[in-house]
Amino acid sequence: MRSKLIQPLLFCTLLLVFVPLHAMEANAQEREVSGTVSTATGEPLAGATVRLAADAETGTVTDIDGYYSISATADDVIIISFIGYQTQEILVGDRSTINVVLQLDQQLLSEVVVVGYGVQTRSDLTGSIASISADEIANQPVASLDAALQGRASGVFVSSPSGTPGAGITINIRGQTSLSASSEPLYVIDGVPVISEDLSGLFSGGQATNSLADLNPNDIASIEILKDASATAIYGSRGANGVVLITTKRGEAGQSNIGFNMYTGFQNITNQIDMMSSQEFLGMMNDAALQDNRDLGTDYSSTHVSDIWGFDPNDPDLQNTRWYDEIFRTSAVSNYELTASGGSENTRYFTSLSYFDQEGVQFGTGFERISGRVNLDTKVTDWLDFGTNITVNRTVQDRTINDNSLYGVVINTLAGDPLMPVYEADGSYADPFNYFGWWMLDNPLLIANEYQRFTRTVRGLGTIFGVATITDQLSLRSSLSVDYTSLDDEAYTPIISRESVNAQRNGFGNFGTTQDFTWLIENYLSYVNTFSGGHNVNAVLGTSFQQSNRNFSSISAQGFPSDQFLKLSVAAQVTSASTSGTSWGLASYFFRGNYSFDDRYLFTTTGRLDGSSRFGDNFRYGFFPSASVAWRITNESFMENQRIFSELKPRISYGITGNQEGIGNFASRGLFGVSDYRATPTLVPTQLSNANLTWESTRQLDVGIDIGLFDDRVNLSADYFIKTTDDLLLNRLIPGISGFSSVTENIGKVENKGFEFDIRGAIISGRDLTWSSSFNISFIRNEVLQLEVDRQVLNDSHILAEGHPIGTFYLIDHEGVDPQTGNMLWIDENGDGVIDSGDRRIVGNAQPDFYGGWGNSFTFKGFDLNMLFQFTYGNKIFNHSRASYENLGWSRIGIPGIFPLPDGNNHRLANDRWMQPGDETDIPRASLTNKNWREYSSRWLEDASYLRLKTLTLGYNFSPEFTQRIGMRNLRLYMQGQNLLTFTNYTGLDPEVNQNARNPLVAGSDFGTHPQVRTISFGINIEF
Amino acid sequence: MKKRSILLLTLLTVFLMSCDVLDTEPQASLDAETVLVDGAAAQAVLLGAYSRMQVDPYYGVHFTLSPDLAADNARYQGFFDSQLEVHSGTVPISNLWITTAWVNIYRVVNIANLLIAEVPGIDDDAFATRDRVLGEAHAIRALAYFDLLRVFGYHFDTSSPYGMPLLLEPIENNDFNLIPDLARSSVAETYQQILSDLNTAISLMEGYSTNTAMNYWAALALRARVNLYAKNYDAAFNDANDVIENGPFSLVSSVDDLFLTTGTTSESIFDLVFNDQDGSALFIFTFQRDEYNVNPSLTDSFEEGDDRAGLFIFDRGSDRPAKWSDSNNANNVKVLRLAEMYLIRSEAATMRDNNPNAGLADLNVIRNRAGLADIESIGSMDEYVDIILHERRAEFNYEGHRFFDIVRFNKLGEFFGREDFRKAFPIPRDELQIQTNLEQNPGYPTN
Repeated sequence: MRSKLIQPLLFCTLLLVFVPLHAMEANAQEREVSGTVSTATGEPLAGATVRLAADAETGTVTDIDGYYSISATADDVIIISFIGYQTQEILVGDRSTINVVLQLDQQLLSEVVVVGYGVQTRSDLTGSIASISADEIANQPVASLDAALQGRASGVFVSSPSGTPGAGITINIRGQTSLSASSEPLYVIDGVPVISEDLSGLFSGGQATNSLADLNPNDIASIEILKDASATAIYGSRGANGVVLITTKRGEAGQSNIGFNMYTGFQNITNQIDMMSSQEFLGMMNDAALQDNRDLGTDYSSTHVSDIWGFDPNDPDLQNTRWYDEIFRTSAVSNYELTASGGSENTRYFTSLSYFDQEGVQFGTGFERISGRVNLDTKVTDWLDFGTNITVNRTVQDRTINDNSLYGVVINTLAGDPLMPVYEADGSYADPFNYFGWWMLDNPLLIANEYQRFTRTVRGLGTIFGVATITDQLSLRSSLSVDYTSLDDEAYTPIISRESVNAQRNGFGNFGTTQDFTWLIENYLSYVNTFSGGHNVNAVLGTSFQQSNRNFSSISAQGFPSDQFLKLSVAAQVTSASTSGTSWGLASYFFRGNYSFDDRYLFTTTGRLDGSSRFGDNFRYGFFPSASVAWRITNESFMENQRIFSELKPRISYGITGNQEGIGNFASRGLFGVSDYRATPTLVPTQLSNANLTWESTRQLDVGIDIGLFDDRVNLSADYFIKTTDDLLLNRLIPGISGFSSVTENIGKVENKGFEFDIRGAIISGRDLTWSSSFNISFIRNEVLQLEVDRQVLNDSHILAEGHPIGTFYLIDHEGVDPQTGNMLWIDENGDGVIDSGDRRIVGNAQPDFYGGWGNSFTFKGFDLNMLFQFTYGNKIFNHSRASYENLGWSRIGIPGIFPLPDGNNHRLANDRWMQPGDETDIPRASLTNKNWREYSSRWLEDASYLRLKTLTLGYNFSPEFTQRIGMRNLRLYMQGQNLLTFTNYTGLDPEVNQNARNPLVAGSDFGTHPQVRTISFGINIEF
Repeated sequence: MKKRSILLLTLLTVFLMSCDVLDTEPQASLDAETVLVDGAAAQAVLLGAYSRMQVDPYYGVHFTLSPDLAADNARYQGFFDSQLEVHSGTVPISNLWITTAWVNIYRVVNIANLLIAEVPGIDDDAFATRDRVLGEAHAIRALAYFDLLRVFGYHFDTSSPYGMPLLLEPIENNDFNLIPDLARSSVAETYQQILSDLNTAISLMEGYSTNTAMNYWAALALRARVNLYAKNYDAAFNDANDVIENGPFSLVSSVDDLFLTTGTTSESIFDLVFNDQDGSALFIFTFQRDEYNVNPSLTDSFEEGDDRAGLFIFDRGSDRPAKWSDSNNANNVKVLRLAEMYLIRSEAATMRDNNPNAGLADLNVIRNRAGLADIESIGSMDEYVDIILHERRAEFNYEGHRFFDIVRFNKLGEFFGREDFRKAFPIPRDELQIQTNLEQNPGYPTN
């Protein structure tokens, strides 16, 4: 179904690139090369190392005047290094004197940081911003950039709710601020706030599609994560959840580069549920009957169930289907990319074309993307620069239903009956209704292979901008941007499926489209000036207008001639068709002022006035200010003589930001919608009005410190924040006699507070060996402070309650297993003598106590080794799946004495169940009744803390003289592993899971969710 | 330099340009104030009331199936707690069905309230059907309040204070702040309101007999049912008699023909119409999914030779009802049909006269249609109650009567060992939390 054309095309391109290669003649004549090494300010550098790349043994150090001398051939590359400075590599050529200027390595504290509407150096920052470089995220075998952020920065919680290829990723920056609006950050790519929500209308379970997967992660130069109000307030009513600024690569003058990158690898699931064999399953069913004899006084024989079913539990030749093995596979993932960049003094370019192809580890899934980019910058006159960024791409997501839905693949596999084969002898799919297990509603392999569900997206993101220098101090930047998505969903449910047969529909299909066209016009003035006496001013003032228009259509049809068709034109009957549309707009005015005195005292203030079409007439415009100060103590005179601190900068910020995402475009209006009766259109009231509806506002205080030690060899950053969100957009319960259960209103209050800590440093910086390490950890507490109505039961397992965090579990609780009877000791919370949903109580939550990451990178000669560990601790998961595969023999629809029919198979951990009086265990006795089984009980609540080796990369960089000999500038080979090791006590497939990714309020359930994948890939980077 | 000035001027113009991006309008909705402007709009809003009766919590699924699930006709074998709770007979105050049923049935009440308040004043000379629209709105409000009373109120005890809160006006300005905090009216007051609405409806709709809407005869038939529940046996007899004798209806000769069709039948007094573009989910719940499977107690209860025992399909290991068998979900919900009028006339006559044989002829009409022989005579009133309960079960299973019938005849304890307070479902927790004047039914928790 998917186009594979592009793969051979890229291989051909690769061949063309390789053909003209020829080995260069070596010029072996050795001579003396000398020169001086100095700093950018002209000071000679004594003690700098100068050596030959080809021969680590040959080397020297500079003398007191920075002078060196070394013997080398014309083909040699000399390497000049000094701690705290950027290492340089220079080809000798025919020169005999080589003078070298080493630049300070300002990568850590003085790096340039992208901020909203501008850039700043890190040392000038007064807010809290995390930066992630391209190196950290490049070439990872993941579909989208957000997946690569996991574990990289403090205060940023990244989680993949499932391993579904192309599925949405959850990112919460400094906690969840919202209950019913979105808690996801705003994504800004090269200055354009982009559409990042799920645009697909196709049902496939609890997982969203990821519109950020439309961007090629390798095009990214850097990612900045804005965390505190000082950094985010310039994004006003969209800044409360933090902002992710993505900057794509641009060309550099004078350096023409052609690069080819590829990797290919294989994936499988991180873990499998160890299920009982048929023999064990029958043994357990027989045990269930025997246990009931003891407790219920029945008189079942020791082979009660297996006799009725007609099996011998000791027969080694029983059908023994291992369902998890059947639905999962080892699958391929690969990426090919060609880039060209460079430029002259006046015009610079970066172009890329890439193809990413991921086959899903579960049959019936996959993700494919082809994307191209052109970033151009040109100097039109000495006072005018123009540029453009254009990216166009197409993605195809092939998926199946999963999670808590009737015809999911994984969910139907959960308690799969091992006595049922996948295929009958005639090759047809076995029908679960012909076998004993009750759980399956259809054969999961049939669902995986024969259902079709595609989401295809074409997305274009384009910006044209001009920067006019008005005076030396003042410039004006104007830009016009377009974010266009055309998405179509196509689904087909086959004639042979149970879903179609049961519904007597003879196959049914659906085709839907979503088109989103968002435009943005921004203009801002930037002013930079330095006044005598050490006064520095840097200010930005601008406007922004954005409008989005979206159109939908959907057609459903049924009655297909055969399962070979997918298109609705062959269907006998169209069952529904509709089109609709919606729009929103945002008009904004913003400013930022930075003032510093003597590089010691730094002040920043920002503000944004946002008007939004989404909100009520009474509160259409809102103002979002912030202010911050920082003190660079190291620049004080009293710090001059100390050598320990290279930076010591306490800072404090306070500000207000808003959140208007995730709210209906017309939520403030009293509306009548259109429905129909007797094929005649009707008008029905659809919502009550609320003219006071407005954004959620978040007040954030941040107190932090940046510390640099030993010439910035160690950098440390710590922040404490307290973030209170008022005016929460909530569905307020209203009296049902009005015909409505709720209106959206600004009520309620939620708080996130926490401590973040980042440390990074160079542990070893030897000539051959370097080791740098970084560690981050975040302790964030989320608490609902105030609700209109306390203790709102959200669904069968979750509650929203004051004094508790978002994602709090509300379940029937127990006190373990009675060692005498083997029965669960359920807690009769309301004391009414029956155990039912009235006995639920708060039993934990899905929020971690802390989370973080630990990265290490080593280089040894040409080798580099990077590893990232990532962890969360203290979060709970409601492992709902166990309710099916830990049924312990409950004969849900059968009649125990006559024909027992359980849900199906059990996992092997159920072998530890209670068997006889005195057994101490947490798994109750088996039974043909449901005495010990409660679907929504804390019996399935588990600790989901984990430590994971997220990525491990081992690479080898060929030396410059070798690569130059074969006509390349750079050649790197590497292998990489993702999710190689996971340490956890969680018994489900993977502890990183969220069945209902679309709703954070009910986070932390696992029910038939596609698990995470482990990837091992091999790659090559070539630069010419 | 000139070029530079022109360009800068252009850029500054753009800079200062204020775009009207905030003025967006919904594309598939209307602002509430601009809706009821003429007769055509009133008609559309009226049909909207039927459209809201079609939702899942009301006639579209759960109000139709729950009375069978809460009793002994259906058994729930699906996943959802809400239905398991209804099936087990212990419905907690947080139960999802009662929570949504309350709101959705009241939504229909509110549409009727809007029409009753606004239709007389609509300035439209061409609005010829004004009386009929108004009458229909009264009939719809009566139906909705009666359905609410059956689920949440003590409909079986006219001396009880546990009737429904009676909201009879539209919510002012559509503003949620102006929703009144109503206390419950007594059962007698609730019946009085329902009957008064029906009387108004009947007086306004004479001659209107479209059987896919709450027409004149439907209002009369509903009044027969309401009077039966309220034990006004004389009135119930007269209304049922009027429908049978004077209405344009006749019994369908075979029970198969009655159900294996997607259209109305000669027996339809009021069918809530579902078509393939606008389907119910009844087929999905009773057949396609494995949820509302037939309770073997129902299939075992049929007499030998009862044609109605054939209205089941055995598939995937269980019996499934055939009353909602159209796979496009286009089966109409038969809210009021003629067979019920015969059984109401039978029951009303028997109770009125305290004579177990007074309603025998009507009972036998329904038995004969199902292929059963006449019952010659009935020995006692107790025996009649058993027989009418059985007959109503055989005739109306999976049509939303069973639980209410068992409650009417005070058999809940005898049949299922349930306590008396469970004759009414609880007032939903959500409502109690925000309406201080709303009283819970006895026996149920209040929060």
